[in-house]
Amino acid sequence: MGRFLARRLLVTILVVLVTSIVAFSLVHLSGDPAVAMAGEGASAADVAAIRTLYGFDRPLSVQYVAWVGKAMTGEFGRSYYLRESVVQVLGEHAPITAALGALALGFALLVSIPLGVLAGLMRRGPIDRLASAVAVAGQAAPSFLLALLLIYVFGVWLHWLPISGNATALHYVLPAVTLGMYATPALLRLTRSGMIEVMQSDHIRTGRAYGLAPWRVVIRHALRSAIIPVVSLAAVQFGLMLGGSIVVEAVFSLKGLGQLAWESIQRSDIEVIQALLLLTSLVYAVLTLLADLLNALLDPRMRLS
Amino acid sequence: MTPTPATLALRRLRRHPSFWIGGGTLAIILVLALVGPAILGLDPTAQDLAHRLIDPVWGPKGGRAHLLGTDQLGRDTLARLLDGARISLFIGIATVVVSGTIGTLLGLLGGYFGGRVDMAVNFIITIRLTLPVVLVALVVVAVVGSSLTILVLVIGLLLWDRFAVVTRSATQRLAQSDFVISARCIGASTPRILLAEILPNIAGPLIVVATIELAHAVLLEAALSFLGLGVKPPLASWGLMVAEAKSQLLFRPWQIAIPGVALAILVLAVNLLGDALRDVVAPEGRA
Repeated sequence: MGRFLARRLLVTILVVLVTSIVAFSLVHLSGDPAVAMAGEGASAADVAAIRTLYGFDRPLSVQYVAWVGKAMTGEFGRSYYLRESVVQVLGEHAPITAALGALALGFALLVSIPLGVLAGLMRRGPIDRLASAVAVAGQAAPSFLLALLLIYVFGVWLHWLPISGNATALHYVLPAVTLGMYATPALLRLTRSGMIEVMQSDHIRTGRAYGLAPWRVVIRHALRSAIIPVVSLAAVQFGLMLGGSIVVEAVFSLKGLGQLAWESIQRSDIEVIQALLLLTSLVYAVLTLLADLLNALLDPRMRLS
Repeated sequence: MTPTPATLALRRLRRHPSFWIGGGTLAIILVLALVGPAILGLDPTAQDLAHRLIDPVWGPKGGRAHLLGTDQLGRDTLARLLDGARISLFIGIATVVVSGTIGTLLGLLGGYFGGRVDMAVNFIITIRLTLPVVLVALVVVAVVGSSLTILVLVIGLLLWDRFAVVTRSATQRLAQSDFVISARCIGASTPRILLAEILPNIAGPLIVVATIELAHAVLLEAALSFLGLGVKPPLASWGLMVAEAKSQLLFRPWQIAIPGVALAILVLAVNLLGDALRDVVAPEGRA
């Protein structure tokens, strides 16, 4: 276990290091970010001033090392547009996205686990068909379309729920459902197939042969094994949702990290963009690491590969 | 004569309802995208401010001149819808060519050689999975500028991971099979073994992945265009049409529904086709 842990940790560090290079290179793809930051109609002197102010005139490798060195101490520079330190800006927006992500994941699990379990227990029955329809629909509906549909039905038509901003907890309902639907198909399918597999396994058959109550077999024994991969997939899906929340936050005007990313991209606020790219990758890398560790803890076979 | 696995697969495919529904819908969209604009004969970019926001033909003030009405600039919605189908299909297909090539090559190398090569391939896959797709795509398009070529390249460079994962594990299985070992024994070159022996034998799962990634690419393009960083006006993209009609949500919701439903139908058709192919290619995995 110790070796597995060390190896996995080393890979994660390498992955984060390489993604930091990618995050840095992406904003420098155009060559000179100073031109974009100065905006249209800026004079050559303005561009040159920005270039020296932010150090864009230094070699890229020097800029990268300086950026990573500062990032390691938790220092990400200043947002030139918001005139605040990037850490402060991220701190203001992160709680909203974290809340949205947690609620969305909660919704996705609330739909996919009961539905997946029942679908797996009663294969080819009506619930299985419903589950399959939910999975197919969740996969085919673009999130911005689902968002606008929910706004139309629950906001405009029924007047049940607020549709924009984050003033109250109710404001999170529609965005969380939209984002949750994005994670639901994968979780649903995995719960269902895990359930089908485990119900055919020896220990369940033994339990049934001993005459345990069917619900007891399902809840205490089958669900427990079927749920392990779902938990680790849920961790990964949470990481993916941080990226997926850009569209959802844009539609619902939630001022989270997704909205911040979208606005920063439009105003070439490169310090913020770099920090967001690195942060999202880091969160995803850490979550997959935790998911792998969880799997290894629960399933000894995983430690060998 | 005993039927070959391929004929058996085709026979199963022909009996699969999803194949006919998904494939049929996709074929209709393809034909509409190819010949529709010519038959309709309306310019999707021609603005006519005197005839803006006309109802569709079923609406109270709709007319036959514009079957699906016009948008806020007086452009014909049907013409834009057909043009948007071309763009969605082009992006979807071109992207899958790019991502399929990258992913399959990486997967073949990693799966066949194993060892350090496989470790490197695995590492590259992990890096790709760690990068947030929408965010990276938005940043690149914003920095480099947006054109159809750039969109195809960006989306193609982001969505190859599933191809690589599937090819890698399938190649690992085949690398020790008798026919690959025989090919090696008679002195076949490595490229020949990879491309002529292994690749045809993993074509089935790869086609299934291609349908998944085609749908994925279409959705990603729509999302980027919806956020204003994808297909640029005056080109018509379904995501862009939804974004442009967003302000009409209260009074003319069909302006959002028309491109939105078209998008959902296209993705659904591709997914259904993929499900049918999966059942046929890997019937043992059918639960």
